[in-house]
Amino acid sequence: MSPTGIVVVAEQEKGEPTDVTLEMLACGRELADRAGGPLTCLLLTDRGAPFRALPLAADRLVIVEDPALGAFNPEVHARVLAHQLKAMAPALVLLGNTAAGMDLAGPLSLLLGGTAVSGCVRVALEGGVIVATSRLYGGKLLAEVSVPAPALVLLMPGSYPRQKGMRDRVPKVEVQGGAGLAGPLRVRSCGILEPKAEDVDLRKVPVLVGAGRGVQTKDNLRIVEDLARALGGAVCATRPVVDQGWLPRSRQVGRSGLTVKPRLYLALGISGAPEHVEGMKEADLVVAVNTDAGAPIFDVAQYGATVDILDLVPILTEKLKAAKGGK
Amino acid sequence: MKAAVVLRQVPDVVEDLVIAGDGRSLSEEDVMYITNELDEHALEQALLLKARHSGTVTAIGLGGDAARDALATSVAKGADEAVFVPVDFAARGDNVVLSSHLASALREGGYDVILAGVHAADQLDAGLGGLLAARLGVPYVGGLTGVQLDAGGRTAVVHKEYPGGRLGVLEVDLPAVLGIQSAEQPPRYVPVSKVLQAKRALQVKEVRGPLPQVAGVTVRKLLKPESATHAKMLQGDEDAVATQIVALVKERGLL
Amino acid sequence: MLAETKTMEIDGEKGVDATKAFLGRLLLLPGGERIAECIQCGMCSGSCPVGYAMDINPRKMIAKLRAGRVDDLYRSNSIWLCVSCYNCTYRCPNNIPITDRLIASLREELLAGGVGVPPELQAAFEKTARYGNPFGESPKKRDAWTKEAGVDVPVLEAGESADVLWWVGCFGSYNKRNRKDTIALARLLDVLGVDFGILGTDEWCSGDLRCTSQGEEGLFDALYRHNTAQLGKRKYKELLVGDPHAFNALSKEYRRLGTPLKVKHYTQFLAERASEVRKLMKQPMKAKVTYHDACCLGRRNGEYDAPRTVLETIPGIRLVEMPRNRENALCCGGGGGANWLDSFIWERTRMPLPIQRVQEAAKTGADVLAVSCPLEIPRFEDAIKTSGLEGRLRVREVSDMAAEAMGLSGVRVA
Repeated sequence: MSPTGIVVVAEQEKGEPTDVTLEMLACGRELADRAGGPLTCLLLTDRGAPFRALPLAADRLVIVEDPALGAFNPEVHARVLAHQLKAMAPALVLLGNTAAGMDLAGPLSLLLGGTAVSGCVRVALEGGVIVATSRLYGGKLLAEVSVPAPALVLLMPGSYPRQKGMRDRVPKVEVQGGAGLAGPLRVRSCGILEPKAEDVDLRKVPVLVGAGRGVQTKDNLRIVEDLARALGGAVCATRPVVDQGWLPRSRQVGRSGLTVKPRLYLALGISGAPEHVEGMKEADLVVAVNTDAGAPIFDVAQYGATVDILDLVPILTEKLKAAKGGK
Repeated sequence: MKAAVVLRQVPDVVEDLVIAGDGRSLSEEDVMYITNELDEHALEQALLLKARHSGTVTAIGLGGDAARDALATSVAKGADEAVFVPVDFAARGDNVVLSSHLASALREGGYDVILAGVHAADQLDAGLGGLLAARLGVPYVGGLTGVQLDAGGRTAVVHKEYPGGRLGVLEVDLPAVLGIQSAEQPPRYVPVSKVLQAKRALQVKEVRGPLPQVAGVTVRKLLKPESATHAKMLQGDEDAVATQIVALVKERGLL
Repeated sequence: MLAETKTMEIDGEKGVDATKAFLGRLLLLPGGERIAECIQCGMCSGSCPVGYAMDINPRKMIAKLRAGRVDDLYRSNSIWLCVSCYNCTYRCPNNIPITDRLIASLREELLAGGVGVPPELQAAFEKTARYGNPFGESPKKRDAWTKEAGVDVPVLEAGESADVLWWVGCFGSYNKRNRKDTIALARLLDVLGVDFGILGTDEWCSGDLRCTSQGEEGLFDALYRHNTAQLGKRKYKELLVGDPHAFNALSKEYRRLGTPLKVKHYTQFLAERASEVRKLMKQPMKAKVTYHDACCLGRRNGEYDAPRTVLETIPGIRLVEMPRNRENALCCGGGGGANWLDSFIWERTRMPLPIQRVQEAAKTGADVLAVSCPLEIPRFEDAIKTSGLEGRLRVREVSDMAAEAMGLSGVRVA
């Protein structure tokens, strides 16, 4: 590998590195240790101060600081990154498989004369060759791909342990100005629209807690809603629950309701009738709880349990709150 | 307004995906093709723009014969022109090859805006839209859920989707390539009779010529992940199960 | 809904009055001309189970057409509330085909315009067009159920023959909640020594969609052409169906399009062999049973007795009737595509039909609600849960009950 080795293109939100950034650092750290080369974290931001003392698991943190680098702008970011990466000439660039990363991969790969691979869940070094494992067809197949250097690998969130993205010391920090920003911009950032609190479009919520008949009464929905809140998600329901009037029709998932593809679908007291499954089977992760061990939902879920949901839910909410509190 | 939409044919996952004997590709005879879902959204968005700003929509179908059917459906929905770009089985999922091949075809077109789905189920490399834009030397923004053109047709204001329902608002000078995440309304329905009519009357421009020889990603192996035909049952009482669920949630980066 | 349609362009001619254009097309359909004979008696609206919720009920629809106001109909939700129960058509003193011609034509117009059509229904059409079934399941897996049947279920290839060709149908083939009933029928045919076979993966949706008035004429035609071609490649003496919707499509609509078929519903088939069936009964079933007349078998095709005859062969059964039985049966609310429109319909009506029906069944004191249509199993099962009748009432398919009484139920290895 070339002297500069591996670069992680960091993403930040509200003065903190995002989870996927830490996961990329964990991945990069593992590879850099194996290759014996350095790991650089490259951060574009309008305010570098919050990052200088972070014990990121990189050998070097390069902060490009400029007011124009506040909001994400694919053209601006691509230009600045290209400038930086051409100078660094890494063998491997890690990007998040995110809204930002996916905009940058194509243009950057051409600017650097490299090859991009998206949807990766694992990156390895085999005999000096970068081998990435990528998810295809919504996870139905995995592809092991060898990528010539310089490689741009887009890493899927949740692929590496976040905690390994930090370690016991602070990397060497370099702050630079925004070279490469000069010139007319064809893309201009005009701000961010925050979502309205009331409108819940279930299709846009990453975590859904599905309430089925096992919830038993309308009052019990309260604990389900607490759980959804703790998960940063929303409550949805099967048709019988909505028919009872416990939740509005906009919360119904299934054949005559919404089709959702959340990252997590927690199915509580749901039997798994085909009409409902049709609406949620493409969730990334389904965890189902139903006292009936033979419920068809267990053919759709990756994980299941047969404990009583009315006992489980309050305990689960408490544990989640505790786990978040430690962050 | 002159818009182009790229419609790729991708393997339909309703059918079981069969890995070919070489272990590195799909078995061609077992594949049933369907238009990439996000490309359907791109077409819908293009048709919405046409309704708002008048102009034309050119549908570009990439792939094998299934692409022709997709073009008939696109015309039935309201596209004005149909262009068929035949692509060999082996290259159908290679965006590096496709973007290079398309760039030459699109350069002549004088399109103000080129729309494509931001992602395809069969893609291994960078998204088609970004690569295409880079080759054409035009800007690219992806992950869009809304597109508006200004009165003069010189700029587009787009809504870019971020997690948690947040939307980034960006102004883009045209011509540009836009990667669509979801159209402002679900892809419209077109009755079967209209599609059959369109099929009969379809006039397709074909883009012939060899595929460019560009180096892309090399697949070493295709494998099926451990299939979970039945859930892994978590053991223990409510407390134990809760602990295990919290671990799962953290592991997936969802906390 | 469609905004300005006071005038339309028809075949290049602009400014044609929209109502005249609509009526013109309606008159070309078989029976469509009878719309002119409406006496505005209101029997249709009065007997419609969701008529109270329609802003424009069937009688008013015809009145509007007479007033040249088809636009109002295009703007109305009423068209999508119709569950195709056939009450209006059945009771109309002048035999006006309201369900299959008026409602169907209105739906066709709206579908063609692409405006205001409930998306769940569109999805069902798209899946049927692509995969030959409304669930979007792989066409290659249509006969996967035969592996669990426990008896040999021959798949007839082109050129092969059997006495009876059993048309299994989409629900029977794919829906897990109907699986045991399909298997029950397979075992019944087997124990009766019937020489039968199925089309397997060559069978596509019968196109019930169109026959029960959903408006996708193009799709129905495509299905019809495929299915009749496949049927034409096999030799058989009788066509047997498990699903009354398919029964109606194959016997009535396919005939209208030019392919007359001799079709029997499985209850008719079994009823013809009632004495043989009775002899094979092994264990009594002590149950009070009430039978729900399926709209597609009953009102549409006049078959009320066969299912009852079959039930009566089961020793120990006591048949009781609901107040609304036979031609007065209350529809389960799943016909005409309504199975996919429940959310839409129930937002606009008071008490969902399946809930009304199971409550009516429970009031008879019955333990079992017997049905002969696969759509009814999931619909009534859900309604029983919602009504709190779980444990008091069970819904079961006639084939499943007969098979159990013959000792044919349970896990089996062929």
